[in-house]
Amino acid sequence: MKVKINNKDVETSVSNLQALATEMNLPEQGVAIAIDNNMIPRAGWAEKQLHEGDNIVIIKAACGG
Amino acid sequence: MLQFISHYNKQYDYLDSIRLALQGGCRWIQLRVKHASDDEVRPMALQALKMCRETGATFIIDDRVGLVQELQADGVHLGKNDMPIAEARKILGDDFIIGGTANTFEDVVAHYEASANYIGCGPFRFTTTKENLSPVLGLDGYRDIITKMKNHNIDIPVVAIGGITESDIPSVMQTGVSGIALSGEVLNAENPVEKMKKLLRIINNE
Repeated sequence: MKVKINNKDVETSVSNLQALATEMNLPEQGVAIAIDNNMIPRAGWAEKQLHEGDNIVIIKAACGG
Repeated sequence: MLQFISHYNKQYDYLDSIRLALQGGCRWIQLRVKHASDDEVRPMALQALKMCRETGATFIIDDRVGLVQELQADGVHLGKNDMPIAEARKILGDDFIIGGTANTFEDVVAHYEASANYIGCGPFRFTTTKENLSPVLGLDGYRDIITKMKNHNIDIPVVAIGGITESDIPSVMQTGVSGIALSGEVLNAENPVEKMKKLLRIINNE
């Protein structure tokens, strides 16, 4: 499925936000994620299903993609 | 994405403002208290951190790198007259979010290269909240900066800030920014909680 992460098209096979965070090796601390402009607290990542075309914004500590 | 910046008025103090924002559903808080020492701000910051942890909100403190590290907040926001971003990164390491205030694309590049994780970009229009005001950006200013960022492959989120009101939100979001930072617009509403809910619905396009 194709999603947008920080304005870039990204292909992913995972189905929820927690899996995406794991796939991207996001750290335990210093990460904030919004889907379609809606901030998702970390406790809700596992149950947050991803959908084709989701606009995901990730703010994370440490630079680069 | 909506970042609420703590504020006060005759009716509410800084902590009230954060509590109301969280009650309204905001999940990104910046504690901004100017003209006070870290010792004065610490008790407030601890309380704000607790409220943010209870709701799963991201908690950023303006300017105070030492407090961010001591209290293990999620990150720090650095304005133009605060500590340079590169210096803050040296102190904080890679586990903290650092946001930087930018007025131009050149600022954005400098912040990105200094390892900023998001940009607070503004002011959108004239505002009395911030001292040392930079030139206003307007919609064209944001479009221009976002386009240049894409061309230069700078992919950190941009949050628009500075005098944005409810009716501005759709057009500002359409410029390609990732979010909006607000303070007075929420707190000065008749019912700040309902106002926040409404603003979030607008930002989320619901």
